[in-house]
Amino acid sequence: MERWLAITGLLLTLVLGWTLWDASEQEWTRYQEAYYRQAVRLAQKGSQRDWASSLRTEIRQIQLNGHTTVERCVTCHLGYDNPAFKNFAAPLRTHSELLQSHAAERFGCAVCHGGEGRAVTTLEAHGQGQVAAKPLLRGKYMQAACYNCHGTNTLPPQATAGVVRGRQLVNSYFCLACHKINGEGGEEGPDLSQVGSHRSWTWIYAHTVRPQGVVSGSTMPVFLLSRDEIEDITIYLSTLLDNRDRLRYLPLLAKRVVGEDPAQGWVATQRREAPARHDAGSPLFSYDGKKLFHGAGCYICHTIDMTGGEVGPSLTYIGRKRNSDNLTRLLKDPDEILPGGKMPQLYLNDLQISALVDYLSWLR
Amino acid sequence: MIDVVAVYKKVIGATLLAAQLPGRFYRSVFRGGYPTTVRQQLATVVNNLLLHVHPTRLYNRSLEPQTTFGLGLICFYLFIIEWITGIFLMFYYEPSTGAAYGRILDLNYTITFGRVMRNLHRWAAEAMVVGVALHMCRVFYTGAYKPPREFNWVLGVSLLVLTLALSFTGYLLPWDQLSFWAVTVGTNIVSYAPVLGPKLRYVLLGGDTVGSDALLRFYTLHVIAVPAVTSLLINYHIWRVVKDGGLAHPSENRGADGEPVGQRSDSVITTFPKVVYLELLVFLVLMIGLMVASLLFNAPLEEEANPLTPSNPSKAPWYFLGLQELVGYSAFWGGVGVPTILMIFLLVLPYVDRRQVGVGVWFARERMIIIGVWTLILIGIVVTTALGIYFRGPNWNFYWPWENWPGPH
Repeated sequence: MERWLAITGLLLTLVLGWTLWDASEQEWTRYQEAYYRQAVRLAQKGSQRDWASSLRTEIRQIQLNGHTTVERCVTCHLGYDNPAFKNFAAPLRTHSELLQSHAAERFGCAVCHGGEGRAVTTLEAHGQGQVAAKPLLRGKYMQAACYNCHGTNTLPPQATAGVVRGRQLVNSYFCLACHKINGEGGEEGPDLSQVGSHRSWTWIYAHTVRPQGVVSGSTMPVFLLSRDEIEDITIYLSTLLDNRDRLRYLPLLAKRVVGEDPAQGWVATQRREAPARHDAGSPLFSYDGKKLFHGAGCYICHTIDMTGGEVGPSLTYIGRKRNSDNLTRLLKDPDEILPGGKMPQLYLNDLQISALVDYLSWLR
Repeated sequence: MIDVVAVYKKVIGATLLAAQLPGRFYRSVFRGGYPTTVRQQLATVVNNLLLHVHPTRLYNRSLEPQTTFGLGLICFYLFIIEWITGIFLMFYYEPSTGAAYGRILDLNYTITFGRVMRNLHRWAAEAMVVGVALHMCRVFYTGAYKPPREFNWVLGVSLLVLTLALSFTGYLLPWDQLSFWAVTVGTNIVSYAPVLGPKLRYVLLGGDTVGSDALLRFYTLHVIAVPAVTSLLINYHIWRVVKDGGLAHPSENRGADGEPVGQRSDSVITTFPKVVYLELLVFLVLMIGLMVASLLFNAPLEEEANPLTPSNPSKAPWYFLGLQELVGYSAFWGGVGVPTILMIFLLVLPYVDRRQVGVGVWFARERMIIIGVWTLILIGIVVTTALGIYFRGPNWNFYWPWENWPGPH
């Protein structure tokens, strides 16, 4: 009995030692030590050297919104405000000059970069850990963050070019035939009005490339888009946030927004930026009925000569069934001809409708 | 002139006195030396606050692992571990909807030992639900609830309910999607009770939906109210074990003529040292297992609760999934009928099944009917719970565990 007590007691001691090691082994301490070494080396004046050698190894954080938002990114990204670290690699490198107009102490990091500000390991802070956080926005995807606060009016065009192009693409590929955005669009697919809050940009990207790879059994077809198009659509969809996300940084922005009531100022800027209804007269389409049929996404639901979807009826012989007048009215307002049906309102203009009706009437 | 000899003597005296201090302190706590005679060993148990809940001596048979598997003791240890880790978590936790989730993230990410402590708290809680259920099955299958232990069985049933209450109230506190929707579903099950159901849900949540009042209520219940009642009942429960004559023993069985049957000769040993050491050993093994589990596996945590986007499927905590499965067929039977019948069955059982047969014996042949009934109920609970855990996907549809659920993943 005493022997077993001794053995298990020893084992428990080992496990406690493991716990201690687990608690003391911290990735961020290595970055801090590297930073302090470099800071002392780069110091040119005595006062700089004194400052650098007075630094302690400690978790650093920025608190915002009356301390409810805590971001510890600066625990590792120590050189963000130190111009001497311009040529270093991440995480010590100096932040770009955008920091001058976006003071980290006022805006924090995650409002632009995403990620999980409370975490202090690369994996978790960059949004790839156990908890489903948002992965860091990188490269051109940063445009989504710029757009969320600034819209398109106050920035140089290239700063939000991806958002604008993505919105055009979503309209011109008739995503709204199946998806609803801000109350407008079809019922076939999920509402995308807040997709940027519910899905990460990496998810949206993978889903746009091949929906079935992310959502098993998805009925959304694979669109053969170019890489640029997928990226732009992803950027645009990432800007569609729910109110909670929109309002999260409102207290920070309030100081910049015109008007007495910050909330009203915010709403005003949002209204100005509300996406225009999709441009039905987009020159992307020549009004060739057959091309339009595929461009407007009709084939997603309807089959012609064995190709197409099975959500709606086959249109192979539709010309025999409906005359052109009936087809015109149906395309203008599906609910009038097929009340309660699945056929979505496509918001086509008259020229597009007549081109489509010409094509459909020919199918007999 | 200095008297060298006198100073020398004083120094020696002071040194000797100092050397004796630890021994004196030890003897002031534990009177007498290490107990070697039976008389001293009996006195050790009686005179020690921690040990005196034990009987001074017991049947050798009580120490064999298959008699109890130490399940009651393990449940007690788990409760103590919950208490200690819970106090640690309380240092950091804040029961408000704006701060709770951030505090949990801090525990996971930055607070020293925070992750391990939270994992320990979680895994010990899960183990306690399982442990209490197994303990109850052991008591049933060995007929240990029969007179004179009927009331201790009732106390045990109360402790089962309290354990579930502790676990369920703690479930909400991380304020993530998982906990929010699990508690929404769990309290919906409550509301299926006729007349009182919706009121009860309202009182429990402090409103019609899970919000900041619900979080505060669940927190208060979880850290003060339920643990206080549970601690009292655990004391009572353990005290009654000794007062009711110790562990159930085959010598209590009576034949049809009322005469004792079965084995009577069984050696008796003193509680100290063997039982005390064995209990310490069980604690060490349990602690090693829990610590390793907590270092290797993180307690579940999803993104912050969002009342606007329900998770699909929304599942109650796993120990209520049997009920949720039944609610899928009939709200009344799942929410009220079956739990009420089960509770009445458990509470009435020791007062109806009083025959002194099969006491202290696993699966006694004479008790086959009631053992069959119990086993059927047990299988029902396990099957419906497993269905709920592993076979239910979006919209509570049936899916094989290896099937992919449709929809986002």
